[in-house]
Amino acid sequence: MATAPSDYALQEDFVASEQYEVGESVSLWQDTWRRMRRNRLALIATAFVLFVLLVAIVSQFWTPYPIWRQGVGPTYQTPTLKHPLGLDQSGRDILSRLMGGAAISMEVGIGTALLSSVIGIVLGLLAGFYRGWIDSVISLVINVWYGIPDLLVVIMIVVITGRRELLFIIIAISITAWVNMARLVRGQTLSLREREFVEAARSIGTRDFSILFRHIFPNALGPIIVQATYLVPSAIIFEAFLSYLGLGVPPPNPSWGAMTAEGYRSLQYAPHITLIPALALGLTLVALNAFGDGLRDALDPRMRR
Amino acid sequence: MTRGTFAYVAQRFVLIALTALVVSSIVFIGVHQLPGNAFLSERQSSPQREAELLHHYGLDKPLPEQYLAWVGGVLHGDLGESLVNRGVRITPLLLRELRVSATLGLFALLFTVVLGMGLGILAATKQNTWIDYAASFGGTVGYSMPNFVTATLLILLTVTGFYAWSGGAFYEDIGWGKPEQVIVPAIALGLYPMAIISRLTRASMLEVIRQDYVRTAWAKGLRPRLVIVRHSLRNALIPVVTILGPITTSVITGSVVIEYIFGIPGLGKEFVNSIFNRDYNIVIGVFTFYAVLVGLANLAVDLVYPLLDPRIRY
Amino acid sequence: MDGVSFHVDRGETVGIVGESGSGKSVTAMSILRLVAEPGRIAGGRILFGDEGKQKDVVQMTDDEIREFRGNDVAMIFQDPMTSMNPVLKVGFQIKEAMAAHERFTPKQAQDRVVPMLKRVRIPAPEERAKNYPHQFSGGMRQRAMIAMGLSNEPQLLIADEPTTALDVTVQAQIIELLRDLNRDLGTAVILITHNLAVVASLCTRVIVMYAGRIVEEGSTRQIFKSPQHPYTWSLLRSIPRLDEHQHEKLLTISGLPPDLTNPPPGCKFHPRCRFRVDRCLEEEPPLGEVDPGQKARCWVLMRNALAAQPQQAGQP
Repeated sequence: MATAPSDYALQEDFVASEQYEVGESVSLWQDTWRRMRRNRLALIATAFVLFVLLVAIVSQFWTPYPIWRQGVGPTYQTPTLKHPLGLDQSGRDILSRLMGGAAISMEVGIGTALLSSVIGIVLGLLAGFYRGWIDSVISLVINVWYGIPDLLVVIMIVVITGRRELLFIIIAISITAWVNMARLVRGQTLSLREREFVEAARSIGTRDFSILFRHIFPNALGPIIVQATYLVPSAIIFEAFLSYLGLGVPPPNPSWGAMTAEGYRSLQYAPHITLIPALALGLTLVALNAFGDGLRDALDPRMRR
Repeated sequence: MTRGTFAYVAQRFVLIALTALVVSSIVFIGVHQLPGNAFLSERQSSPQREAELLHHYGLDKPLPEQYLAWVGGVLHGDLGESLVNRGVRITPLLLRELRVSATLGLFALLFTVVLGMGLGILAATKQNTWIDYAASFGGTVGYSMPNFVTATLLILLTVTGFYAWSGGAFYEDIGWGKPEQVIVPAIALGLYPMAIISRLTRASMLEVIRQDYVRTAWAKGLRPRLVIVRHSLRNALIPVVTILGPITTSVITGSVVIEYIFGIPGLGKEFVNSIFNRDYNIVIGVFTFYAVLVGLANLAVDLVYPLLDPRIRY
Repeated sequence: MDGVSFHVDRGETVGIVGESGSGKSVTAMSILRLVAEPGRIAGGRILFGDEGKQKDVVQMTDDEIREFRGNDVAMIFQDPMTSMNPVLKVGFQIKEAMAAHERFTPKQAQDRVVPMLKRVRIPAPEERAKNYPHQFSGGMRQRAMIAMGLSNEPQLLIADEPTTALDVTVQAQIIELLRDLNRDLGTAVILITHNLAVVASLCTRVIVMYAGRIVEEGSTRQIFKSPQHPYTWSLLRSIPRLDEHQHEKLLTISGLPPDLTNPPPGCKFHPRCRFRVDRCLEEEPPLGEVDPGQKARCWVLMRNALAAQPQQAGQP
């Protein structure tokens, strides 16, 4: 260049050099992952959840002692080297039962989250997109359901039908759980359908089904994933309540809720029988919720920096 | 109260009544679909006894007729008779138990709201300090623990623990009847909703503090307390009040297990017992009560709402 | 923000012009020490008052600055809908502005509300005082904000983009109102905006900011007639005008403002400047005087740049 401005300075095609401009573009997922990494609590929580999952999977193939075998040692025995978590009121090894309980909790949690999410997403998309009578019906169901204590409904279903298999419990809980996902997805769909890219897709003749699943759904994915993540601990608590009341998977299945209930009688002199499964429940749920919180914060567009 | 508000409240009452009716009808019909005479068959020995009982309770009539009879009864406030304990009228029974549950529930709500809001505000004003992190983590823990876990831990602490530490001098029985016995169950019941409220209050306060009108308040030279209380708090509490409806529902749900654990003779314990005893008339009655309670709670919340936010009018 | 220094005389109207991110709002907010975290005031002085009796705002205690805000200096913001508390009545919020300070008793403050509303030309002020912000129109809300700001008769009113959120017709009314108030009350006004037209109608002096620095300052007349900094010049050239010859091309400023965490070396405007020379990439120019009362931060200066052009079609 020169020491004096050149002739072409007034030309239209002058373009600025861009090397000092603000901002590099980063995809949503990269950004999310990066932010998750910075949140230490969420990382610990994630690690713990993975650990529980691992234990659950392992328990299906191996536990130190069979979970149903009674009398492997004296009843009510406190933790020893041979039985690191002690024995319960029937002489069963608590560690082994705890592992089995992990499997039950994970199955219920993930199963319910998946099932109720699928139902909720489909119904929410339909209600938000088509409006009209579909929306009226679905919204009515959602609103009526809103005022009903869901635990009571699930209890009723389980008791009245008398069926206690794991799959049935998953279905029973999902019957009440889909509502929240549906409401979320409906709201998202309602606002997304007004956006220009939907209009654009319509104008080139895209079929509704395509619009719903290739345009609207992916854009609502963030909040959906967060909600689904929270559904897991929610379902686990449900199952725990049920089995605490004796309405969950029948004995000798080692559901943590049932184990807590069984140990209550011996609270004074053998508190470990109740405390261990109670703490297992508590910690797993805390970890799941903290993970959900971390994920939610990481996906929050307002906190982008 | 303006004309519009009066009409709105009346509408809501009708809606509550309708919802309660629909809910209990569903339960009624669902229960009566049970195979055979599951109602009574386990208890009885002789067929005549069975026939007599069926007739006494009107169970030998066709379902639609039973239903109409029942609806008629409900409209008069009569929820029928207990299947297990003959002669016990359900409505007075449940009303007695309602008083118990309501006492427990109100104390739990008091704990929830006062402590929940307090902690939330504290965490928000001291954002990113150790107080905030501690409160947030405590909130996550309180939110995650099933209330029977909390109850077990509290019982361990208060009954077993104090007993051991005081060398046998202190002993508090789990139960109901003495005024101080409401404390531990109320805390166990209220912890979970408290965690929800404290998280929401904190988030709401943080959001409000960022708002332009709070900046204006500072720019006007207002004292910090005025900015926080008059400008931030009032606006921040709006979403919190909104959530009190579902919170009440949550307290009701939680009371089922808590009353069961603590042996408190309220609606929740009645519900569980009746389910186990197959006393379905009572079960239907409890459901009806709950539906009405939830409806009233939501209505109360909706009426308080315009007091906080003048943009809302009915 | 770096090396920003300017003064406002009693009763003056000064406009601060710049793009988003130029630092104009931050400058204004720092006068009231309202800088939001994580920003902070790192150094410098903000002096207020008559010669010889000045106080430094930066050094004020919390109590002093609380007295200072809304009283000696008041500020109104861009979006009147969000700047007022939606759950409190407008009249109350105006009264609150006065009651917060020692000047008026609560009773006097209450009595002053309606006259203030009248002064900012809000019709039916008595009823309006009992209304909530959402019951006002956009223009009326901004007037109410002005009333709130001026209620303590401050010596300086800072208006941060007061018209940006309003319709064009309403904009003109607000500017006119500010002009009249400046004339009648003698309140000095700092008007922050990116809209040059608004500056032209209200301000006697103009400060142009870019990338956290002042790049030009001078009287309105000087700036509009003979801008010396290429940025100012480009801004003026990018406004379409009815009286321009048809064949004059509308020039835009290509590129985006710089990332201040990774600023360009030398003059901060050089990447987007048509008239840059080698020196511009190496050394940042100082804010030098180009004419009495006019300063510009440029090595080249428009008067030199344009003189070198063979076919320039007259000054803006």
